[in-house]
Amino acid sequence: MARHNKGPVTRLDNATYSLNIESSERAVLNTLFDQLRDVLMNDSNSDIARRLFPAAYHQDEQHEAEYQRLMHHELLSSRLTSLSMTADILGHDTDSDRIVISSDQLDVLMRSVNSLRLVLGTLLDVHEDEADVTLDEDDPAYGQLQLYSYLGWLLDWMVTAQTTMN
Amino acid sequence: MTVSIVKSSQTDVQPAGVIEQDSQVENDRPWIVLVWNDPINLMSYVTMVLQKIFGYSHEKATELMLDVHHKGRAVVSSGTREHAEFDVYRLHEHGLWATMQREDSR
Repeated sequence: MARHNKGPVTRLDNATYSLNIESSERAVLNTLFDQLRDVLMNDSNSDIARRLFPAAYHQDEQHEAEYQRLMHHELLSSRLTSLSMTADILGHDTDSDRIVISSDQLDVLMRSVNSLRLVLGTLLDVHEDEADVTLDEDDPAYGQLQLYSYLGWLLDWMVTAQTTMN
Repeated sequence: MTVSIVKSSQTDVQPAGVIEQDSQVENDRPWIVLVWNDPINLMSYVTMVLQKIFGYSHEKATELMLDVHHKGRAVVSSGTREHAEFDVYRLHEHGLWATMQREDSR
């Protein structure tokens, strides 16, 4: 994957950002978000589902059941809407390796990237002390670990772009 | 939890006012929203989300994030049950591991 010297996201002004990711790389990201959509739609009882839809009342089963009855679908809809918006953003202007996005669009991208990291991190059973471990090419999960690392890199750039001025 | 101030044999004749007063105390106890440490979310991302949702300064959000990281959790907001539920929902929407409980049940 290409790396731009100025990073994958740069702030243009108070309201717009430049997403400096090649069109082909954005297409790969979109296939991953498609997979995330499938997980959201079909996986309701796993560690991944529990991480994406955590308990609100961990000490109160009755309130928790009521909360999930009212809010689970709301959260699912919100995540699916973000993924649809993400697909539109990343699929925009496929002839260009740089697209201009709004602050709201950057926010949507960050939430989608973070959701993907949550899924991968849960799958890989990531622990705190493993955050900076060097990737081993012989590890059967090397590809997933590389992707997890890439998404962390991308998200960190997004956060930096949003929280610092040019 | 309703704390009775009469013996169990007297429950049937407990003045209604006592129950109402006790319930009022129960309802007045604020709810707190906790964010829990997890090994996946980036520290920079957690700080940014706390700033965005609660309008905290970068310094305040960083302090809370570090509490989450080092102590395992931090109280990020408090208020009515409805308010806490809204905050928890917003935090979940951004992928943070958040729960809510009565203030004195920590």
